[in-house]
Amino acid sequence: MSSRYVVNKLAFAVFTIVATVLLMFILFRMMPGSPDRATKNPNMTQAQQAALREKWGLDKPLFPDQLVSYVGATVTGDLGYSYKYRAQPVTEVIGGALWPTVLLLGLGELIAMVLGLALGAVSGWRRGSPVDRLGNGISLVLYAMPYFVIGMPLIMLFATALHLLPTSGMSTPGAPSDLLTTLGDVGAHLILPLTAVSLGLIGGYSILMRSSIIETRAEDYITTARAKGLRDRRILWTHAFPNALLPMVTWIAISFGYVIAGAITLEIVFNWPGIGTLTVEALDARDYPLLQGIFLLLAISVVVANLIADLVYGLLDPRVRA
Amino acid sequence: MSLPGVAGATAGASAGAGTLRRAGGGAARFLARGDGLVGFAILLVFVVIAALPDLFVGPLEDVTTATGQPLAPPDFANLFGTDELGRSMLNLTVHAARISMTIGLMATVITIVVGAVVGIVSGFVGGAVDAILMRISDFFLVLPTVVLALILAPVMLDVIGADAELFGIRSTLLVIVVVIGLTSWATTARVIRSQVLSLKERMFVDRARVIGAGPGHIMWRHILPNVVNLIVAQAVLTFAGAVFTETTLAFIGLGDPSAPSWGQILNAAQAAGAPGLGAWWYIAPPAVCVVLVVLSFTLVGNALDDVLNPKSGGRR
Amino acid sequence: MPTTIRARAAQVMAALVFAGATLLPAAAPAAAADPVVLRVGTTQDLDSTNPFNTILVVGYEAFQLTYNLLTEFDKDAHPAPGFADTWTRTSDRVTFHIRSGMQWSDGTPATSADVCYSWGLAMAAIKDGKNVGAGYLDPNVKDAGVTKIECPDASTFVAYTTDQSDRVFQVYIPILPQHIYGKIGYKAMADEKFDGPLVGTGPYTLAEWKTGQYARFVRNPNYWGNKGYEDEVVLQFFKNSDTMVQALKRGELDYARGVNADQFKQLQSDPAYTTVAGKLNGWSQLAFNTYSKPIKGGGASTKALQDVAFRDALGYAIDKQALVDRVLGGFGDKGSTVVPPALGDWHVDPTNPRTFDIELAKQKLEAAGYHLDSSGHRLDKEGKPINLRLDYPNSDDNYPKVAQFVKSWYGQLGIGVQAQSFDSSTLGNMVLPPEGGGQAKYDIELWGWVGNPDPNALLQIFKCDAIGSSSDSQYCNPTFDQLYALQLTQSGDARKATLAQIQNLIYADAPYDVLYYENALDVYRNDKFGGWQNMPATGTPFFTYGPLDYTLLTAATATPSPTPAAPSASAGASASAAPGGSASASTPAPATPAASGDTGTPASSTSNAPLLLVLVLAVVVVVVVALVLMRRRGAAGDDE
Repeated sequence: MSSRYVVNKLAFAVFTIVATVLLMFILFRMMPGSPDRATKNPNMTQAQQAALREKWGLDKPLFPDQLVSYVGATVTGDLGYSYKYRAQPVTEVIGGALWPTVLLLGLGELIAMVLGLALGAVSGWRRGSPVDRLGNGISLVLYAMPYFVIGMPLIMLFATALHLLPTSGMSTPGAPSDLLTTLGDVGAHLILPLTAVSLGLIGGYSILMRSSIIETRAEDYITTARAKGLRDRRILWTHAFPNALLPMVTWIAISFGYVIAGAITLEIVFNWPGIGTLTVEALDARDYPLLQGIFLLLAISVVVANLIADLVYGLLDPRVRA
Repeated sequence: MSLPGVAGATAGASAGAGTLRRAGGGAARFLARGDGLVGFAILLVFVVIAALPDLFVGPLEDVTTATGQPLAPPDFANLFGTDELGRSMLNLTVHAARISMTIGLMATVITIVVGAVVGIVSGFVGGAVDAILMRISDFFLVLPTVVLALILAPVMLDVIGADAELFGIRSTLLVIVVVIGLTSWATTARVIRSQVLSLKERMFVDRARVIGAGPGHIMWRHILPNVVNLIVAQAVLTFAGAVFTETTLAFIGLGDPSAPSWGQILNAAQAAGAPGLGAWWYIAPPAVCVVLVVLSFTLVGNALDDVLNPKSGGRR
Repeated sequence: MPTTIRARAAQVMAALVFAGATLLPAAAPAAAADPVVLRVGTTQDLDSTNPFNTILVVGYEAFQLTYNLLTEFDKDAHPAPGFADTWTRTSDRVTFHIRSGMQWSDGTPATSADVCYSWGLAMAAIKDGKNVGAGYLDPNVKDAGVTKIECPDASTFVAYTTDQSDRVFQVYIPILPQHIYGKIGYKAMADEKFDGPLVGTGPYTLAEWKTGQYARFVRNPNYWGNKGYEDEVVLQFFKNSDTMVQALKRGELDYARGVNADQFKQLQSDPAYTTVAGKLNGWSQLAFNTYSKPIKGGGASTKALQDVAFRDALGYAIDKQALVDRVLGGFGDKGSTVVPPALGDWHVDPTNPRTFDIELAKQKLEAAGYHLDSSGHRLDKEGKPINLRLDYPNSDDNYPKVAQFVKSWYGQLGIGVQAQSFDSSTLGNMVLPPEGGGQAKYDIELWGWVGNPDPNALLQIFKCDAIGSSSDSQYCNPTFDQLYALQLTQSGDARKATLAQIQNLIYADAPYDVLYYENALDVYRNDKFGGWQNMPATGTPFFTYGPLDYTLLTAATATPSPTPAAPSASAGASASAAPGGSASASTPAPATPAASGDTGTPASSTSNAPLLLVLVLAVVVVVVVALVLMRRRGAAGDDE
């Protein structure tokens, strides 16, 4: 991997973050409506409206005043205060919603990766067999299901009909706060949304892994391994599988951004207190500081994930050049 | 290309052409592929339903014309049950097919046109133009569609106005069309570009250049006909993604209650509390339809891709 | 050494016992220290715990749990002792006596200085022509006609008023502890965070707030009033009523605010719940754009909307009973005037009510000079077909249904309707006229308002000077402004008469067509708490007037629900009894309140733990077996 490749990738990552943040700044303000009109207030007078806009700096021209002060504040790490959750710092509001999302999606990705890759590998390796038909069929069906289409039946079955699992939120507020109870509580709340996320993601992983394995199977070294008389199962897991993983790396990184978006629907269905619904609410309220904070975070995480994927890819595959 | 063909295989089912492809399937014929045929048959049914909803279930019921009891389970009067306004779910689901499929179709057209133009130009012209276009497409690849749609929807509504209408689709839904188009062209562009890159080196392009054809002419007369196959396969897969994305967007509230799509029905079901009330018949029909349509488009797209895409089977 | 080992052994034992206790709560009585928690669900997301910053009903509920008002409300919503326990009114002032011996929850004595500080914030803002925070609370002081406040001694607070109205007893200014906030002026108040734990004199003080999730309140040990059965109150926020009702059914909630009509009806038929359809102090309306000056690139699409006769005729084309029946599922009242019936005596029915009569509406339109063209379109006086844009916020699921009805009814008059939803912020801006920096580009706005105990809050949106801020009809009538100013100075029957005049004036002028007064649909479980009271009698227990009801709750006494529910508790499958069952699993007998209260919710989620473990294990085993099988079969196939 040449240093030019790395530098190129880094430069593009930084460029993407900056561009996203600036684009969002403009887009948010292109949205019709303004934060001071997001709720109906019979007591609102024109003077008060003006005072509010002044306090939020919305009375100044978008460019350069608002942009400059925003960029200045962001660079110094000051994300400001939320409009909707009045007087709450943006960092705290985002912080509160971040870890539930990371917990749910992180675990979901992990489970889906393990199961999806295994399913895809086995399907591809036994291409055309009944196992493949079944596995690939399931993958394709799951791939066609939005998260909430998976989530709603799960709720109806396990929570509403069988009364087995909690349906909403991620913890029971006011429950005894010792570790054991908390873990059990969060765990119970996690099962249904986690199942929905995992099922929703397995399809993509499996389908990709399957086609990757099929290609790998035709490679020379596999034939060599077979010729050497290695056991079939061993060839799959020690030779074919690691090599077939290579194209998956980028996919995992890219899926990151989409997972966050798809999570919005899950958070609605399961009342999960995550970053997805926070985004929707912030948009509705035209909560510019909160929105800017969320998208800064989003841009950085998606871009960094892609950057890491690119670099890993570059390391693994010497053929790659920028 | 630093990103392999899997780029953007995500956004729901959108894209995928580079990914959901069977290696070594170049010899396979579409007709010989059972999955493609099954998908095609299902699609045919949906297309007929979407084209003539009134013929099957009468005009779309609304709150003023609904006749059933609210949230009645399936019975002989209403085979699919009713929603909270007493509308027949069968009527709703069938009419939603039209909305969902029309949105999918229009979004696909935008995606494919933008994607094909960018892909061909980028691949053929190369150099700085290529670099810039590909950086832009990278940018759109990493932007989460749904989140971008949420931001763009009110902006677009403001820009095109609330009164606009196209093919019976009102501006609220046109917004969804444009947003899906805007956020999913990048994958198509990448797939087509890589095909164009290899075409460019072929003899017939050189020959055309020698006899003095301009770049526009070459792209139109020589390159385009050679990527049409790819575009068709790509379009079918894009359609699947568009229906999928529309469902998600409508579910989170970007739909139009007076012109229900499947996602919009699911949104209404959630708002009416159908899951908690145990009204499975409110959720099952639109959900099953979405899954069936997305699945069949994917199957057909994969089969077409295998048959039509010259690069299928090659190393990505 | 031996001690350590023994200690460790004891710890292990304790842990095991505890684990057993949490997993099998029905078998082991829970520790006495566990608090009784009242869980209240709402789909409204708390915006701020700072009383001056919140603009939502749930925010009022939150700050009124923590802080007292100077005077609270009794169960009929009449003024009752609060921070002050007695008061006397003379010609120009009200002298309040501050409750003797009252302490803040941190033990500091509560005195009149706290009142002078808290009311002083509003007084200072009014003097500067500004507002405190979001500007919702200080207008209370202004409207009450308070000109001066005094604290002659620690137990006396005097408010000088210009009128004799009752509004001085309805002032929503929380009495904040001066010893904590004393240095903060009204301007800086807007930036105060009010993170828990807070110090208050209310029955429960805020302990913690997780934005978007819940706010938890703990009992104020120094509270002066009746002590409720619950030790903690949790306000839990839901993204939709579906998840909220599911939580209620599972016993994760004791009270759900604002369910929809279908959910309400289902729970109504279940003895495990009590359903309350309370009158809501608000309405939904069609607001017509009556702005009279031309606006470049904006304004209404037809001048007809400025014509009272036109708006009047449209009023006969709305079947309000149909809206109540079909849109609200019967839970509401037909709309009439702009003072909701929930305000009791202040409301009058219009003297000349419009009835639903499409033919009459047509006649009135013809008489007013709006005729049909050859193709059946109604023309305005400029000869243009009337096509009205009907815009509504996407935040209310009922509005699309209303819009379809209106479209159908107006359609019968030959008037086209283009219905369109927007997010609240966009719509809020769309209706702004040039005075507020907008273009008022709309014809009819379908939206609603929720008011205060006094009709003033909602009447002020019809003042001429509300154009450009809160007005969404751009209505301006100097007669109204005069009457509005007049009723501000009046009280009792005189004010009633003026308010009746005002209501009839607005009804006749019809800048608004008030469609319906929606009910607040609340539901609570019967198995854990008793002593519920509606506040006032036509209202709901919570989210109305102050925290009184929170202090009246008792342990559930013999209620009909637990007995039939108990057998199904373990099976948890039978349709109607099962909802009660999940909670009563941990509540074997209603007679043991201590056990029932604390285990209610946490237990019901953890009590399933063994089952869950089994389930998870089963899934894992199935997956592993499947994988192994696949490999075997695959390996065999490949060897061929």
